[in-house]
Amino acid sequence: MAPHQSGPPGLDALLIEWLPAQRWYAGKGREITAVETISSMTLWVGDPQMHHVLVRVRTTDSSVEHYQLLIGMRSRLPERLDHAGIGPLPDGFAYDAAQDTDLTTVLLERLAKRATVDGIRFVREGPVRLDTSQVSRVSAAEQSNTSLIYGEAYILKLFRRLSPGINPDLEVHRALTTVGCACIAPLLGAIEGELAGEPVSYAMLQRYVANAADGWHMATTSVRDLYAEGDLHADEVGGDFAGEAHRLGLTTAAVHGDLADALGSRSVGPEESRDVAQQMRDRLAAALTVVPELLPYAEGLRDAYDEVAGLTEQMRVQRVHGDFHLGQVLRSMTGWVLIDFEGEPARPFTERRAPMSPLRDVAGMLRSFDYASRYLLADRPGEPHLEYRATEWADRNRDAFCTGYAEAAGSDPRKHATLLRAFELDKAVYEVVYEARNRPTWLALPLTAIARLAG
Amino acid sequence: MSDHPISSVEESHDPEWFKRAVFYEVLVRAFADSNSDGTGDLPGLVAKLDYLAWLGVDCLWLPPFFASPLRDGGYDVSDFTSVLTDFGDLGDFIQFVDAAHARGMRVVIDFVMNHTSDQHPWFQASRHDPEGPYGDFYVWSDTDDRFSEARIIFVDTEASNWTLDPVRKQYYWHRFFAHQPDLNYENSRVQEAVLEALRFWLDLGIDGFRLDAVPYLFEQEGTNCENLKQTHDFLKRVRTEIDRLYPDRVLLAEANQWPADVVDYFGDSTVGGDECHMAFHFPVMPRLFMAVRRENRFPISEIMAQTPRIPSGCQWGIFLRNHDELTLEMVTDDERDYMWREYAKDPRMKANIGIRRRLAPLLDNDRNQLELFTTLLLSLPGSPVLYYGDEIGMGDNIWLGDRDGVRTPMQWTPDRNAGFSQCDPARLYLPVIMDPIYGFQALNVESESNNTSSLLHWNRRMIEIRKQHPTFGLGDFTELGSSNPSVLAFTRTFGDDVVLCVNNLSRFPQPVELDLRRYEGSTPIELTGRVHFPRIGELPFLLTLPGHGFYWFQISQAEE
Repeated sequence: MAPHQSGPPGLDALLIEWLPAQRWYAGKGREITAVETISSMTLWVGDPQMHHVLVRVRTTDSSVEHYQLLIGMRSRLPERLDHAGIGPLPDGFAYDAAQDTDLTTVLLERLAKRATVDGIRFVREGPVRLDTSQVSRVSAAEQSNTSLIYGEAYILKLFRRLSPGINPDLEVHRALTTVGCACIAPLLGAIEGELAGEPVSYAMLQRYVANAADGWHMATTSVRDLYAEGDLHADEVGGDFAGEAHRLGLTTAAVHGDLADALGSRSVGPEESRDVAQQMRDRLAAALTVVPELLPYAEGLRDAYDEVAGLTEQMRVQRVHGDFHLGQVLRSMTGWVLIDFEGEPARPFTERRAPMSPLRDVAGMLRSFDYASRYLLADRPGEPHLEYRATEWADRNRDAFCTGYAEAAGSDPRKHATLLRAFELDKAVYEVVYEARNRPTWLALPLTAIARLAG
Repeated sequence: MSDHPISSVEESHDPEWFKRAVFYEVLVRAFADSNSDGTGDLPGLVAKLDYLAWLGVDCLWLPPFFASPLRDGGYDVSDFTSVLTDFGDLGDFIQFVDAAHARGMRVVIDFVMNHTSDQHPWFQASRHDPEGPYGDFYVWSDTDDRFSEARIIFVDTEASNWTLDPVRKQYYWHRFFAHQPDLNYENSRVQEAVLEALRFWLDLGIDGFRLDAVPYLFEQEGTNCENLKQTHDFLKRVRTEIDRLYPDRVLLAEANQWPADVVDYFGDSTVGGDECHMAFHFPVMPRLFMAVRRENRFPISEIMAQTPRIPSGCQWGIFLRNHDELTLEMVTDDERDYMWREYAKDPRMKANIGIRRRLAPLLDNDRNQLELFTTLLLSLPGSPVLYYGDEIGMGDNIWLGDRDGVRTPMQWTPDRNAGFSQCDPARLYLPVIMDPIYGFQALNVESESNNTSSLLHWNRRMIEIRKQHPTFGLGDFTELGSSNPSVLAFTRTFGDDVVLCVNNLSRFPQPVELDLRRYEGSTPIELTGRVHFPRIGELPFLLTLPGHGFYWFQISQAEE
């Protein structure tokens, strides 16, 4: 069967309404002017039926994005799938097949068989046999993609917005699995194909880390406990997090080591530091046009970046996580596990794949500790004693994280103060823009950090 | 004792009774005094058996009540076959066993195998007559440098495991106090003598032994002298003897070791276990405390995940508190510092490597936490062992020496001496608790019996619910993960008896979404009130829990 250029008749029109309501749809705030199916392949024939559909979406700002859809078709939509409905079509009722456990099994079976269907390759990594009896559910935690959790065994991440090229998440997991990294969810398979003549990643299958909680929930549990003990310090309360933060530092350094082993690392000279500084200045310039509140700190920020430009020593660069924060780590039964190596979704693949200093990840986590310590205060202004506690908690856990990192990496990130501070500031500038756009009442949180680091 | 009066326990032949039983540790000295001499005794205990049966206790565990100079709470035995005169005599003991059996309760007694008191006639003979029949009953040495890899257990009081005996002019080996010389199990006559003592009590009708300090029976150069093969071989021999002559009796090992080492005390799993029927699971308990203090489940989840399977004929014993300190041997140094900081704020609260406190004061007398901890005790895998007085939330007295602070008289009534004894208060073996929170005037069995919302009634109801569901004793344990680290959720499954337990380890209310699809279509029924919760569907099952709250749900068969 050759790929159909058009999907089920009438689908495109329904998608104009349906797409913007999806959590993973990236073009929020921009109106869709056109949706067109660029390929459609049938993965399962019958009632229900499943189509793998790629659509091109044009919006009012004349940007073009590609999305991957799994479209289910049933003659009649059962009640349990009401929430997945897209709309009626001449051939039946269209809905999001990711929500239909009858159909998601097909994906697992195809992976088990290493099938190729109309150019969609179901690839298996390693010798592990897949248990296809596992039934899926849609993860509630996923934001920009759709993750299907099969029993307690596997997790299949369906990339929703597609860009040509191998997705860094898949690429990095593949490399880390090959070197036997113990602190990730190992890769078991992938679904791949082509888009605009280039390879494209549709999905990746990993072992599911069962009975885990993410670092953000762990950390905020600790902070909540601290706030309730008005007269105790961060190192005195029962919910102290420093032990976990220390182990997280160890784990992070171990993964950085594995990344360097798997994908290489090299030393770069001062010209690279100047490039890094220039990128930071560019981001600052762009941010200043959006958030005038940044203006008082602009000079301090530029000074901090200038110091990076003036660095004379060599800098190690390698592949890193790229979007590292407490939400990207899971506390499992055996310790911390790093997930989601996709990098910052807003940046192009080439930029995300570029080698950079691992201190960027360290800085990301340090910013995350700051966020976790103040997250519960965002809607509780005017409680200075809690602010004090928050700072104490963040300092304690940032230190514990760095100490753990230093123990495993052999070098203390705090010794590279210039670079680490600049990375933290760069991250905070990014946060300022994000908060100004999405949560203006939170703007003070990254601004306070900038004032502290560059004031 | 073949002409024993027939009692309800003897009528019910049940080799697995210990897997479902609720145990209750009762100190004879501390429970009830029948002759007004200030010390509890066996007739006093008999008079309180109706209370224990009402509470729902299945089996009593009696720490040592043997003749003893009492320098270690009776664990220093000076005669393996007689009753400490303070407590009564053998006739009283036989009456006690019969009275317990008549109420359907079994009796397990402590037996100290590893050592005796230095007042035991065997030791006296051994030190005075090295060439005599008892000369080789203990471990003697001319030097104090053998077995140097063995750790010192009571680091507070002992500098060495060897002490020079001024009479025999040789060193003797002791793993515990210097006044408790270790028996020499290399000597087959020691083995015979101990077996004979065990048979003596079994013939009196008891239902089993808690074997104290079993890992240390044998010594061997170049090892840490714990968990040696010879020790296991001897336990197998004891077990063979019991299986041959005394059906339905159990051996409960006290081996304060990591679970991976403790499982060896169950013996060969291919035959369902051929050493001890039960062993205490020591690391669970400190981790319960740690998890609640940290408001996250991982301390518990980790130890449950590290706990190996045990042979089919075996069961763990779990407990929150007992007559010893809250032992912290089975936690890492970091964790121990943490526990000391959190639960033993006054240095006097610390003993050896543990915390000497009762359950209620450990939990700041917080009713919600008391209920949560008890709920965990009653629902995690293993047979729960309650400690006398904790069912009413008794307090402790940290100003008493050693571990006496948690061994004060049971509080029965608001009357003189808490109803424990009619004696002159000055004559009591230990003062009753009199502080304003835990004092006997307010906190006693009588007042809690009269108040149906009391902790005592709550405990009784929970024990009753536990007994309605054999899965609590016999079922598999499966933890259900969730994204909320403060919630510990698990199922216990025994055939179609499925119970879902959800515990909020945080002081704050918490939501949790559980993946219960394997029970899709069933209706969870809450066990304390039989309330039917919404049917389980395909989507995550949402529950909200109050601070330190919990649920027990029966998961019924899916409705067609």
